[in-house]
Amino acid sequence: MSRFFKAGSDSESETESSEDDELIQQRPSAAPVPSRTFQFSDDEEDSKRIVRSAKDKRFDEMTNIIKQMKNHKNIKDMANVLSDFEALVKAFEKAKKVVQEEGVPRFFIKCLYDLEEYANECWEDKEWRKSISKNNSKSFTSLRQKLKKFIRERFEKEVAEYRENPDQGDDDKKEETPAPEESEEEEVKKPEPVVTKPKLPAPPVRKDEDDDDEDDDDSDWGMSDDSVESESDDEPMEVGKLTAEFFLKKSDSGTARKEKKKKEPKKVKLLESDEEGDWEEVRGGAPLIMERPKMFAKDQDITVDAVMKKLFEITAARGKKGTDRNEQIELLKELREIAVTNNLGLGVDVKLYFNIIGAIFDYNPNTLTSMRNDVWESCLEYIKTLLNMLIDHPEVTVGEDIKEDDEKLQEAPFMIRACFLTLVEKMDEEFTKMLQGCDAHSTEYVERLKDESQVCDIIEKTLRYLEIKGKPMEIARIYLKRIEHLYYKHDNSINQNPRPKHGKIKSKSYIVEGSSEQIVDKLCKYLYTAETSDRLRTRAILCHIYHHALHNRWFQARDLMLMSHLQDNIGHSDIPTQLLYNRTLVQLGLCAFRQGNIRDAHHALVDIQSSNRAKELLAQGLLPNRQNERTPEQEKIEKRRLFPYHMHINLELLECVYLVSAMLLEIPFMAAHEMDVRRRMISKNFHHVMKMSERQTLIGPPESMREHVVAASKAMKTGDWKACKNFIVNDKMNAKVWDLFYQPDKVRDMITVKIQEESLRTYLFTYSNVYDTLSLQTLADMFELTMPVVHRIISKMIINEELMASLAEPTQTVIMHRTEPSRLQSLALQLSDKFLTLVENNERILEVKQGIYPFQNKRDRNDRNPATSAAFQHHTQGLFFFLDILNLFFCIYVELTEKRQFEKKLSYPCMN
Amino acid sequence: MATRKQRAPVQYVQIDALVVLKLIKHCQEEGAGGTDLVQGVLLGLVVENRLEITNCFPFPRHSEEQEDFNEVQYQMEMMRNLRHVNIDHLHVGWYQSTLFGSFINRPLIDSQFNYQDSIEESVVLIYDPLKTTQGFLSVKAYRLTPAMMKFHSENDFSTENITKHGMTFDKMFEEIPVVTKNSHLGNSLLCNLEEEEQEADKYNFLDLATSSMLQKNLRQLMECVDATTMDINKYINCQRQIMRQQQAKQQHIQKRQQDNALRTQRGEPPLPEEDLNKLFKPIPSPPRLECLLFSGQIDNYCQQISSFATQSLGKLFMAESLQNEGPST
Repeated sequence: MSRFFKAGSDSESETESSEDDELIQQRPSAAPVPSRTFQFSDDEEDSKRIVRSAKDKRFDEMTNIIKQMKNHKNIKDMANVLSDFEALVKAFEKAKKVVQEEGVPRFFIKCLYDLEEYANECWEDKEWRKSISKNNSKSFTSLRQKLKKFIRERFEKEVAEYRENPDQGDDDKKEETPAPEESEEEEVKKPEPVVTKPKLPAPPVRKDEDDDDEDDDDSDWGMSDDSVESESDDEPMEVGKLTAEFFLKKSDSGTARKEKKKKEPKKVKLLESDEEGDWEEVRGGAPLIMERPKMFAKDQDITVDAVMKKLFEITAARGKKGTDRNEQIELLKELREIAVTNNLGLGVDVKLYFNIIGAIFDYNPNTLTSMRNDVWESCLEYIKTLLNMLIDHPEVTVGEDIKEDDEKLQEAPFMIRACFLTLVEKMDEEFTKMLQGCDAHSTEYVERLKDESQVCDIIEKTLRYLEIKGKPMEIARIYLKRIEHLYYKHDNSINQNPRPKHGKIKSKSYIVEGSSEQIVDKLCKYLYTAETSDRLRTRAILCHIYHHALHNRWFQARDLMLMSHLQDNIGHSDIPTQLLYNRTLVQLGLCAFRQGNIRDAHHALVDIQSSNRAKELLAQGLLPNRQNERTPEQEKIEKRRLFPYHMHINLELLECVYLVSAMLLEIPFMAAHEMDVRRRMISKNFHHVMKMSERQTLIGPPESMREHVVAASKAMKTGDWKACKNFIVNDKMNAKVWDLFYQPDKVRDMITVKIQEESLRTYLFTYSNVYDTLSLQTLADMFELTMPVVHRIISKMIINEELMASLAEPTQTVIMHRTEPSRLQSLALQLSDKFLTLVENNERILEVKQGIYPFQNKRDRNDRNPATSAAFQHHTQGLFFFLDILNLFFCIYVELTEKRQFEKKLSYPCMN
Repeated sequence: MATRKQRAPVQYVQIDALVVLKLIKHCQEEGAGGTDLVQGVLLGLVVENRLEITNCFPFPRHSEEQEDFNEVQYQMEMMRNLRHVNIDHLHVGWYQSTLFGSFINRPLIDSQFNYQDSIEESVVLIYDPLKTTQGFLSVKAYRLTPAMMKFHSENDFSTENITKHGMTFDKMFEEIPVVTKNSHLGNSLLCNLEEEEQEADKYNFLDLATSSMLQKNLRQLMECVDATTMDINKYINCQRQIMRQQQAKQQHIQKRQQDNALRTQRGEPPLPEEDLNKLFKPIPSPPRLECLLFSGQIDNYCQQISSFATQSLGKLFMAESLQNEGPST
């Protein structure tokens, strides 16, 4: 009801407003039919009892029910629609007698028809059907069945008739008022948005474009016509009961009706002007599902304008709720075929391609899930064809900045408003999403990954296309895309020198000759110099570093990293760039390790590894969500950021490299600083791992990578380099870690040498105090190092004052100086330090006490005096036992020196 | 029973060999080689001025799960059973093993206070398993001094109270000499054993490896010193706070006096007296008992170390002279 009235009042022009009001007043009065009193208007004071004919009564009842049903239909309340339908059928049965006399009322047939349409439509809307409640869906099915049966049994013919010819009245009117088309079109077009808006709740069933709105309106009008008609038809029956008012009303409704009727024909016209001549299109009131077998009428000549108009029509529905995206794609494809068959020229074709691809990308409304494989493949195909087309026809200009009005689709220098680069970027995004979507260990993933070459191919071609046609910004963007597809791939060709390149991406013949290094170098350098945004440049630098690091070009990578000063401000960049930075850093660390720069490797990896969240920091997987750290939304966002599996850096490798480098640094350090009061740690993570293994009650032979490293560290502590090496480099570890490196043998050799050296250092730190002299030769034999290396290491230790010794060249020995204190001595030193602080603190108590006096008045002093003096007393007592302790120290020192001399005396005879 | 009423202070403790052996056995079996503390109950009698400890039984070790275990009931049950077999069943104290002499702490003081509160003559025997393995049987009897008893009973460990009682770290415990008494049969068995004993076993107290023992002692001493330093720092902080408060109070009072002076000049009534304690709540001074205990512990360590050092010094000199003689012969 309200829907009708609102629509009515809105669409009616100003002049009719008064009549309109009356109309509104008349309507509500019709509503409470069951009360039997029929009020014509509210302002009529003496409400008379009006006797109405049986027919009138029955039909009123029915129209009422129909109206209610309409409302319920709008809100899709199936249970109520069903009950309304049942009530309607009952009312119809009651009115049987009347019907026999009068014939089946048209509004009833219309209602049945509408209801049927409505039911069909709802049936088709599967999503909606899933979403509704159980009760609702149950009543919906029963409604549908009952309706079908009812129509089939009784009114098959009538409904079919109605379908053929929705409202007979309309036809007549068409001829009567053939108003000028143009003006009317404007008239209608304008109010339309207003018409649709206030209809809340809008029928969610509405499937299609503006045409549908019109159809809808049409149905509204039709319906209102019916009701008005029925009333006006009825009225003459009540002869004798007519009042003046009634006549007035009638005339009013008549004019209103006229107004309405005026509109209908032009709507019909409109539809016809759209070349959708057959009645199929206009069919009935309920919103239509787009089922258009044909785009254009057969006889219509297809021009560019017509196609464009159609295109606009189709694309106008884009993004609207309830638009069938699949169908849109189909429509566009069809349109393109039509365009091609009619030879409308390249411009139209390109334009349509753009639209098709756009529609394909639109296909999946969910940003999380990827598109289906077949859609993806077709999308790739389209992009490729479009790209080839663009490359083959340099006269086609594509640009975002071309205004829609300036588009030239017909003659030679084609101007098209679109951006191919955006399509490529979107495609790349989609590709990543697809890879994220499938299980990384399945064959599906491999299948998808095969498309990588195609994607690269497209990017490569686009790059070359844009180099000629594109603007600098676009070139920069496509360069970056290219780099991003290149930087993480290891180019084997560089190490297998002149052999024909057959790296992963190299197989493509059109790649500029030279290694990927050259390409990346070239592209990055362009990006560095070109006027591009910081983000592009940052990413380019990171990719460049990554690529260098991947190919063991440590110094270039390091220098680039240091020169860029990225460490300082990476925190300000966006998260994907930060993730890239993390990846780069890790790769840099791995590179440093391969090159034997253990300290650098450790520095690079420590931040990533120490947080225990390497997985998250590298965006290679999500950590289990503990204590609801993130909301589901955050999790979704994070999931979207993940790198596809083929770009992952092996985490076990990462951890192993980190632990091994930490071991090589930490074990000698620990040995050297065993006596320190406050032990510093180089790597907390390493200490943690060691502690965990110590806590175990039973330590079996190492199984995991971590256990191997721990076992190796323990062996190294005692200077047993062979055991250490065997723990680090063995079959198990080879399979787990080292073979993953590019040149595993080199890495293994490097590790072995490092282990030997560091074990030697550890040995010297730990056991130097039991030696007086040490032969270099012995050491060299022990650690299987050459003499110069041993000499070098020891000299370095001596220079760094790590080892108190001197080298005796003629005898090739190390002579220990024994200046470092024994354990007991260092402990005693520590203790004396502690006592010193204790004494100082004690004295401070005294100071406070003295300081307090001048500021205190008498009473307070009396309060405080005993307390402070007590504290003083108490602590001076403490001072006495300090004297004791100092005495004791003396004892200890005497004893120790005594003992040492004594030991010396003891040991000499033994040595001899 | 009569002797207890005489209040004659116990001059020395006489332990039966049985008690010592039981103690060692308990410690060996349940103390995980001396690292875990074991405790038990001493039974005996006060005779004249000596406390005779004739028997003992261990507290059973119970795990966390057995929460419902009632120690008191167990003790009563045990003593009743002992009485049935006509063994001394008078409770005269308790024993505890120790690790490197680190026994002076709050729980010990509290429980000993409870013992002495109910049974005046009760003592605590401190047994050091480590020293025993080195060849020195180390059983020491301690009890709280009367001053400490009084101090503890007030349960006020503030600085003022310490001063009032003149409490210092060395006045907390008094050590009572311990005498071990063997039965004649036992003595004769020992004589027998002595003959059978091998030479080497006799002289393990001549062990020259001193550094590990010293190291451990020093480490613990350091811990104690650290704790004391912390305690002193706390005290200093508290003092500072008090000082600051005093200053604020002072200023407040002066301001009030000035105001009042102005008011009297103007002929207005002086401001009402406020409770200064409400404005400036007295800051509680930290309890000093911990500090006392740490001091006592440090003292104990120092004594241990010095006695140990003198002994080993003696041993070293002895060994040196032997060594000097050695090569010449």
